[in-house]
Amino acid sequence: MSKREIICRCEEVTKEEIIQALQAGDTSLEAIKKRTRAGMGYCQGKSCKRLVAKLLSAYLGMPVAHFLPGSIRYPVGPVTLKVIADLDLAGGKENEN
Amino acid sequence: MAHIEEHPILGTMEKKKYVTVKVDGREIQGIEGEPIAAALLANGIKIFRFTHKFNEPRGLFCGIGQCTDCVMEVDGVPNVRTCVTPIREGMEIKTQHGFGKESTYE
Amino acid sequence: MNKFDVIVIGGGPAGLGAAVEAARLGARTLLLDENSRPGGQLFKQIHKFFGSKEHYAGTRGFDIGENLLKEAASLNVVLKLDTRVWGVFPGGIVTAYCGEKGLKFEGKTIILATGASENVLSFPGSTLPGVITAGAAQTMVNLHRVLPGKKFVVVGSGNVGLIVSYQLKQAGAEVLAIVEALPQISGYAVHAAKVKRAGVRILLSHTVKEAIGEKILEQVILCKLDSNMKPIAGTEFTLDADTLCLAVGLNPRVELAALCGCHLIYSPVLGGMMPWHDENMCTSQSRILVAGDLAGVEEASTALDEGRLAGLSAVQKLGLRNFKEVDDEMQKIKDRLTKLRQGPFGEKRQLAKQGIISMKIPKESCL
Repeated sequence: MSKREIICRCEEVTKEEIIQALQAGDTSLEAIKKRTRAGMGYCQGKSCKRLVAKLLSAYLGMPVAHFLPGSIRYPVGPVTLKVIADLDLAGGKENEN
Repeated sequence: MAHIEEHPILGTMEKKKYVTVKVDGREIQGIEGEPIAAALLANGIKIFRFTHKFNEPRGLFCGIGQCTDCVMEVDGVPNVRTCVTPIREGMEIKTQHGFGKESTYE
Repeated sequence: MNKFDVIVIGGGPAGLGAAVEAARLGARTLLLDENSRPGGQLFKQIHKFFGSKEHYAGTRGFDIGENLLKEAASLNVVLKLDTRVWGVFPGGIVTAYCGEKGLKFEGKTIILATGASENVLSFPGSTLPGVITAGAAQTMVNLHRVLPGKKFVVVGSGNVGLIVSYQLKQAGAEVLAIVEALPQISGYAVHAAKVKRAGVRILLSHTVKEAIGEKILEQVILCKLDSNMKPIAGTEFTLDADTLCLAVGLNPRVELAALCGCHLIYSPVLGGMMPWHDENMCTSQSRILVAGDLAGVEEASTALDEGRLAGLSAVQKLGLRNFKEVDDEMQKIKDRLTKLRQGPFGEKRQLAKQGIISMKIPKESCL
């Protein structure tokens, strides 16, 4: 049985670590992500982003909206390199589907 | 636990085709095409993986392929989302440890 | 071959509604969905809808889904299932994959109907197997006929929490309690009454303090909250449960909309961050429209009508039909949506929607 409270389920970042990051001066989702890896895992922050934003909001006394949506990048969801290679993004041939 | 055969709204379950798969070497049955996670839960298996950092057990969480908590090794491929991957005859499913057997970046 | 007038991303009620309307008025329409069956969360909804006849009152979610699918098929909507979209790029390029294969489509207009994700909570033990979202429980029970456990505690007394609790009982599970942090029930009184009649107790001003278990969930520690929502020391008690369902709301899945450059706004009533849209479901990006939970979390019936509205709006943009004709149809749907957003809960959403529509947002067209 563990007492730790996980915020980022993928990267196993605890509430304690997020609070330490806040105390160290982080003021954005991006900064906390870079320090702790929260939101950097396989799911790309789908469940932890709002939890981290809430902690930021409580600590800094600013509305949650100020911190969301954080950085969003391609691809949306995990994609293999083959999937991207298939696209022939430079133009040229069309895929046959 | 098995499947709910009789349901007040859904009615009686139609006859389904069962498949046999191996989970960590042990044979279990599931209904062809249902998510691997559903078959595992129907067989009372709740732990799907152990995490890379704290070695904590994890299982089904979001059920729609978003949270990636339910990933396992399926036919040698790690990080397969079992809640959205249909089960097929003869699959070899393994409890995943960390990032899976093919991870080299720990 | 890969070029379409309208590409709809997401085949839930909103996406299906959009695709059906666009195709009916002659748009070459593609509908992409990541699941092997379209319908989104409709097929989990085995309860009867209420409201008026034209809003499918008395019909169960899955029947609405089946009818929409038939309609889409008869209108030659090109349907691609098991296809997950991972990007939308300038020029209306939609990138996706199906299995191992990468795919690319081009759309003159794109309707995003990506739905919503469930909110989660964190507390010690919240990652234990057995702690799941309400959606996961619904998926397992109502779609796959598998009970993820025997003894449940449900967190959240919104409509999802109430309905899931009832459905778990229907499937033969024990629901020990519904836990609600607020001092009042969040969902409709009809649902709450039904759940109470089924013998489920609703614990108001309570929260989950901790989930306990060696390797899987065995116990849930609850505690009382004071009027400032702070836990009251000494009020802890334990329930022996093997499953804890989190039904604590939904938030719009904005990733694709954000990447498209759609202007995002924050609406607490509608679930959080969402793309701004006008009364015709158009976003700040001229090619991109939105509908359903992505455009603010509401209900399946509003999602469906918003989808229909977006479908018509896309046709209007493309100039495929007489402008006035389409406009009249759109007005009918708008009137219906206003009717749907009545009552103590609907009114708040109606006000929130009006507020969003009246915002002045710079329109761009980089896509």
